Amino acid sequence: MSGFLDGWIGIQNWIFEAVVSPVLFRFGLMEWFEPAFNAVEFFMLGVVQIVVIALGMRLLERRWSPERAGERGLIGVDRVYTVLNKLGVIPLVVFILAYPITTEIERQVRVLGVTPPRLEHLVPWLRDHALVTFLLYFALFDFAAYWVHRAQHRFSWWWALHSLHHSQRQVTVWTDDRNHVVDDLLVTLVLVVFSQFVGVQPDDYVLILMIGRLIESWSHANVDQNFGWLIVGPRFHRLHHALASDEERHIQDHNFAPVFPVWDILFGTALYDRKIRPTGVAEMHIDADNGRGWIGQQVTVFWRFLGALVPRFNRA
Amino acid sequence: MFRFVIVALALGMGASTAVRAESVVILNSEDASYSIVDRATRTEVTRLPLGREPHHLAVTPDGKEVLLASTVTNDLVAIDTTNGQQRRVVRDIVDPYQLGFSADGKWFVTAAYRLDHIDIYRADGFRLAGRIFMDGLPSHLAFDTDSKTVFVTLQQSNRVVALDLATQAIKWVAEVGKAPAGVIMLPDNKRLLVALTGEDAVVTVDPKDGAVSGRLQTGKGAHQFFPKGDGRHWFLSNRIEGTVSLIDTQDMRVAGSIRVPGGPDCMDITADGKELWITQRFLRRVAVVDLAQMKVVASIPVGKSPHGVYILKADATSPGLPIRAASTEPVTR
Repeated sequence: MSGFLDGWIGIQNWIFEAVVSPVLFRFGLMEWFEPAFNAVEFFMLGVVQIVVIALGMRLLERRWSPERAGERGLIGVDRVYTVLNKLGVIPLVVFILAYPITTEIERQVRVLGVTPPRLEHLVPWLRDHALVTFLLYFALFDFAAYWVHRAQHRFSWWWALHSLHHSQRQVTVWTDDRNHVVDDLLVTLVLVVFSQFVGVQPDDYVLILMIGRLIESWSHANVDQNFGWLIVGPRFHRLHHALASDEERHIQDHNFAPVFPVWDILFGTALYDRKIRPTGVAEMHIDADNGRGWIGQQVTVFWRFLGALVPRFNRA
Repeated sequence: MFRFVIVALALGMGASTAVRAESVVILNSEDASYSIVDRATRTEVTRLPLGREPHHLAVTPDGKEVLLASTVTNDLVAIDTTNGQQRRVVRDIVDPYQLGFSADGKWFVTAAYRLDHIDIYRADGFRLAGRIFMDGLPSHLAFDTDSKTVFVTLQQSNRVVALDLATQAIKWVAEVGKAPAGVIMLPDNKRLLVALTGEDAVVTVDPKDGAVSGRLQTGKGAHQFFPKGDGRHWFLSNRIEGTVSLIDTQDMRVAGSIRVPGGPDCMDITADGKELWITQRFLRRVAVVDLAQMKVVASIPVGKSPHGVYILKADATSPGLPIRAASTEPVTR
């Protein structure tokens, strides 16, 4: 294992020294030296995730898909989202926009003398049990993400953004990253600030994101499989993407949890059944996202968002 | 995900804090921990939890404790300089990124890198005397030898600020070059050396007014100083170039260079003067340089982004001296 770790760090160091570091030096960005090094690891982990999705998950999806593949062209744009996200392009944009805001919040709070709590301070036993500690932070993070997801469906302006994610009629392992950049920014802001306040470390934050998003990619798979009450699986999450019908008008108001279904169970939004339903949204103007490419979707959904905030911008 | 394996191994090794002298303490800034490495076997003996984002350390004026500073949890964990045993925790020291004591032991200063302020404390009881907000990432600091002034580099705004310790007033602020980081006062108390991480050089600065009077080319990403111990030579890590320069401050020339890959940063020297230990931030290792051969002879895996380093001493009674404040505040030994 140490050989593998050395190899991994060696590649990260080589990319950083050959490509990133000279650029930072050239443009006088040396204060970003350490974060940029971590960004290289983020990129490398993204490559690994894409390989896992493209080779592993897709293979299972082709073999066990309950929903027949329809218009294959619909999936192409989701692949673009996945590549842009996993390789760090969208996260970089979001980071640049979110960093000054979250830093200022942290500054104001810290100058007031408030320091983020840590679970290890409350329960010293955790100091010697790193894996348990990490899982607790993961659960806390997922708890926040559950409520963020509910808010995305609750508020019309946020739904205007999030509906892009739900508009996909062919939900597959590529669908998880199909989000509007502003939606990504809002979610990041809330979750980063939450993480700062409950004491999730930056390193753990990245790890939680990596593992969480990989589980979420799988939970979007067109596969009839589930992990029960333990972890969100495709059958559980595809129900959340189900097309509303006259009999099930509020079907999408179930199964919000990103990783741990326990939140849905605790807060009464869990729904377990084995019925295979079509996915997508009934509203025609939202369903029209399917005919657009990445740029078209970003522009259209941004106007939809503005229209929900300020009615005079409404183009629907 | 790999850190689980590492942490599991560390936990398996036990968590006793008492270790033998000449063990080496390394702060793993992105692992919220510190490693204890045995000098003789050159292996990590244990890894212990430590606040959050611990970067630098400083020896107390009586030479009995090393303060390990955690920037996000705002505390200093004091360990015994001889055996590494944890003694106490000093709380409410806000964002102590860089820290050090004045030569007379009366003042304790921290640079809050993330929160953009410099705090001056009366060292007796860590009583805050003044907080000076300075935009531009205050990063490294040095004191004059008569304990009247502290000099702090402002990495983002290319400046150095001089502060009067007694009044906490700004004496001067001066531009010195791109991304100034490590700073030292030479024993003559007449020259400051400032490492320019955004360039490939150190500059000589007049402590009276901040005027730049000289420049010495070293290596790209010049960053951190450490004294060789003879009052004349200083080591300097060059983070981008991946080297450590040996600077002769009398003739102002580079007397030697050692290849140390992986973003070399903080340093310490063994009591016998034979080895220089350097954290390799990006490789998650600490390098051992044999000073007779002037080359790396070992590179030992530790935690993620190792930063501050301190070698425990069997005899650590050095009253009244800031032996190695922040492992970067050199004084002649």
